[in-house]
Amino acid sequence: MNITTDPMQGGFTLEDILRDTLDSTYIDDAYYAKLRNDMVEWEGKGTLLSEAERHVYEALIIEENWLLDRRAFERWYQLYSRKCVYWVPAVGDLPDPVRSDPQRQVTIAFDDRRRLGDRIVWLRTGVAYSQLPPSYTSHISTAFVRMPSENKSEVKVRSQFLIQEMRAGHEIQTFSGWMGHVFVEEDGITKIDRKVVCLLDAPRSHHNMTFLL
Amino acid sequence: MNVHTTTGGFGHLIEDRRVHRTLYTDHSIFNLEMSRIFGGTWTFLAHASELPNPNDFVRKRLGLRPIIVTRDREGKFHGLLNRCTHRGATICRQDEGNARRFTCPYHNWSFTNTGELAAVPMEDGYGPSFDKSELGLGKLRVESYRGFIFGTFNNDLPDLKIHLGPAAALLDEWLDRWPGAELQLRRGQHKLMCAGNWKLIYDNAADGYHPGFSHASLLRMRKDRYGGGVDMQWALGNVDDGLQTVSDSGNGGTFIDQRAEITRYWDQSAPMPGEDTYARVIRERLGEKGEAALDVVMGSGMNLNIFPNLLIIGNQIQVLEPQSVNQTHINWYATALVADDLPDEVNSLRMRLQEDFPSFGEPDDLANFEECQAGLEIEEVAWVQTGRHLDTGREYIGAKGMLTGPVSDELPLRVFWQEWLKRMEYGNAWVAK
Repeated sequence: MNITTDPMQGGFTLEDILRDTLDSTYIDDAYYAKLRNDMVEWEGKGTLLSEAERHVYEALIIEENWLLDRRAFERWYQLYSRKCVYWVPAVGDLPDPVRSDPQRQVTIAFDDRRRLGDRIVWLRTGVAYSQLPPSYTSHISTAFVRMPSENKSEVKVRSQFLIQEMRAGHEIQTFSGWMGHVFVEEDGITKIDRKVVCLLDAPRSHHNMTFLL
Repeated sequence: MNVHTTTGGFGHLIEDRRVHRTLYTDHSIFNLEMSRIFGGTWTFLAHASELPNPNDFVRKRLGLRPIIVTRDREGKFHGLLNRCTHRGATICRQDEGNARRFTCPYHNWSFTNTGELAAVPMEDGYGPSFDKSELGLGKLRVESYRGFIFGTFNNDLPDLKIHLGPAAALLDEWLDRWPGAELQLRRGQHKLMCAGNWKLIYDNAADGYHPGFSHASLLRMRKDRYGGGVDMQWALGNVDDGLQTVSDSGNGGTFIDQRAEITRYWDQSAPMPGEDTYARVIRERLGEKGEAALDVVMGSGMNLNIFPNLLIIGNQIQVLEPQSVNQTHINWYATALVADDLPDEVNSLRMRLQEDFPSFGEPDDLANFEECQAGLEIEEVAWVQTGRHLDTGREYIGAKGMLTGPVSDELPLRVFWQEWLKRMEYGNAWVAK
């Protein structure tokens, strides 16, 4: 196993992921119900972030984008909570809690903490031929708004994104749409609990989406 | 050797143990395939669960042709060419819906969902010789087997079930893992794109030689994370010493059988989100029968490929949609199993499991197919090898009378090209009914 000592990783290594959870215990009916409710709330009217909110939430999304663009996946993984989900629906024209229901529909990605770990370990094997050569990305997020939410212990932020992806020998691909981030406090640190990436072209065919959005 | 790809036959491109690279790269061959193979034999169109109600329709493609598959008010399926008989515009422009009639937006010619021309605006402008009964939509010959709807222009072919041969019984085995359960599509799709010829994907669907190599990333990730014992263990080592087999299932169809390697489906499954929770719920709800329910979460251990475009693999249905000689769309339809005695938690798990291979397996294959396409463009190295196990004496007549070999046998390639040649040389003498 190739353990990275990249300074971008902030001291985190693949070992931290390999030692992380091998169980999948928290995805249940209540969790799916929460995701359906999220979809309803993403539809709401957002308000611009206050200066204080920008420093916490917008800054964290910008940090997330930077780590992804620098391929610092081990450190990126640590931005997520213990009961996190990284979700890329395969349907377009969202929000829509029925058509997007991941309990009934297959998705482009639906990663709990364990599968997110699998994905990073997989990317780091060095023999994932779909990532040889690797993808480089540029994530741009904008139009951050705080969404009203029933759950006062969480903060919901919606944003618009534009991602470009480049692999040597292939044309640059462009992806756009909106994202929803749900933030929670865990051990006094703000973490991403749920992230949904709603692609403009989600229902279309995609070419090699093995990088992280 | 001088290879003529645009005139005469194709036999000189297909030898016992090799085929010519131009079969994957030549535009004129591709164009002929789209008319002679797609529609020239029974070709998969749609699944009945995609159009469950009377007057439902789905828009699909048959090769490059836009088509509509309809269910009429009596429940009968029809395959219609999506082309107004007036000036050529497509009449259906939605992926799915419910309609008794399709009206062309250009001049409002209107057709029933069985394909008859029903109404023409200002019809008297065409004069006395105008006959609406001659101007119905182009129609395919359509039959279905257990919900799988196929169509062809070829009236010389036997009925679908006879044509499917041993594949029909294999499809039964695939469908009857939970007796009485109904298979449902409309659970979302992984739509993948590959800059490679469509046959590279068909070739791979019964390739038991590649998994230990092309899927090194998946196997290594599983080992690093979970140790041994889970998922695709049969891909390791000399697979020909194992219990998997590959067979000729008739008319270009091919079949990999991994079932003998699977002692316990659930225990050998790939990991999936929600696994611990829902396994507990299913066991609590069903008691002893819970283990069997968990087993149908996992893929079937079968790769059943029906020439030319239907690949039934694991729990998923893959449909090949060629776009051009070096561009293919692959639609992976997720499936659910629905039965009164089967908890829906099984499907909560099936959705998650059906994301596993499209995430960690298929992309590496597609990358390799694209590199095949790039390599096959080299003129100076002309041939592709298809002779593995042709003369090792390992092939035998196996279950259902199928010619069977060890799993790395390239028998499936040879079977494919035999049928391909037959269909290409048969020509396209038919017209839409």
